[in-house]
Amino acid sequence: AGGVYWVDSQQKRYVPVKGDHVIGIVTAKAGDVFKLDVGGSEQASLSYLAFEGATKRNRPNVQVGDLIYGQFLVANKDMEPEMVCIDSSGRSTGMGIIGQDGFLFKVSLGLIRKLLAPKCEIIQELSQLYPFELVLGMNGRIWVKAKTVQQTLIIVNILEACEYMTAEQRKQALAKLSGN
Amino acid sequence: QPLNPCPLGERLCSAEEATAGSGTYTRHGFIFSSLAGWVEKKSEDGGLPVVSVVRDAESQLLPDVGAVVTCKVCSINSRFAKVHILYIGSVPLKSTFRGTIRREDIRATEKDKVEVYKSFRPGDIVLAKVISLGDAQSNYLLSTAENELGVVVARSEAGVQMVPISWCEMQCPQTHTKDFRKVARVQPQFLQT
Repeated sequence: AGGVYWVDSQQKRYVPVKGDHVIGIVTAKAGDVFKLDVGGSEQASLSYLAFEGATKRNRPNVQVGDLIYGQFLVANKDMEPEMVCIDSSGRSTGMGIIGQDGFLFKVSLGLIRKLLAPKCEIIQELSQLYPFELVLGMNGRIWVKAKTVQQTLIIVNILEACEYMTAEQRKQALAKLSGN
Repeated sequence: QPLNPCPLGERLCSAEEATAGSGTYTRHGFIFSSLAGWVEKKSEDGGLPVVSVVRDAESQLLPDVGAVVTCKVCSINSRFAKVHILYIGSVPLKSTFRGTIRREDIRATEKDKVEVYKSFRPGDIVLAKVISLGDAQSNYLLSTAENELGVVVARSEAGVQMVPISWCEMQCPQTHTKDFRKVARVQPQFLQT
């Protein structure tokens, strides 16, 4: 008895939820607040103080067009969503500005949830192929960076194709690639 | 007596024939109307008649500082709530005024712990008191920092009117979910059963 029940359904349009970790794109700097596009109906706001070690004198170096990995502090249908890049104790826990280079692309929300499940096979198999950095946003956005542009694009294509490939097809594709 | 309509800026009469009343102004020895409406000429006992221009037959009722008004929340923000003022006291208004309830004016105690989202939602009917005639955007500043002020009618996500269970919570009678609101303790004489 007890426990939480929810229904997983396939959708592409993201609706901000409090606590979700997402990748946002900085669209504007308005005074003390950044406006981020998170793929929802409204842009999210992010205060410049919501970064680890940020003070009024020590501002984070954020430009328009940067990618930010953060979580929602406030997200409901009546108000503009607010994001932060620190948790409740003030630590960044991996959130913040995502570095230079790399590749950002969009997938369905169902695939993200599959990739975020513990012991996801897809990620384990891919990591045996090439080393790479990966950031998964619950809003359907994935950021990948590998050693070369070609390796990055290969990983991007595999992740996009994972939507429709069966496990067998995926293993075959990866075997072909690692054979090269 | 019959009222004549007049457009804005109409020259009504000479300043020697009458005195300028409300809705008019004097220039170059003549009285002009500063409103588009109806001309009224009232004869004063001893003295010139008073010429005035009115928009409506009744004069517009304006909220005074300290008046209790009934308003509907139209949007919320983490810093304030924007409302439309519908009634002043028990008199309905023909055109609504805009009001703002700032976060620090929602409650009298623990003002920094207040969350606007847990006090009001769009669509709520709120009893508030006017604390200031407002800024240049003619937004009256309102406050609900009293026990008798706050949300009186609110609907749950199911669309059913909620029942207050404490000063900070309301419950939906259909789904039994509880929502947070800054609930008004309405005086028993104003409750209708």
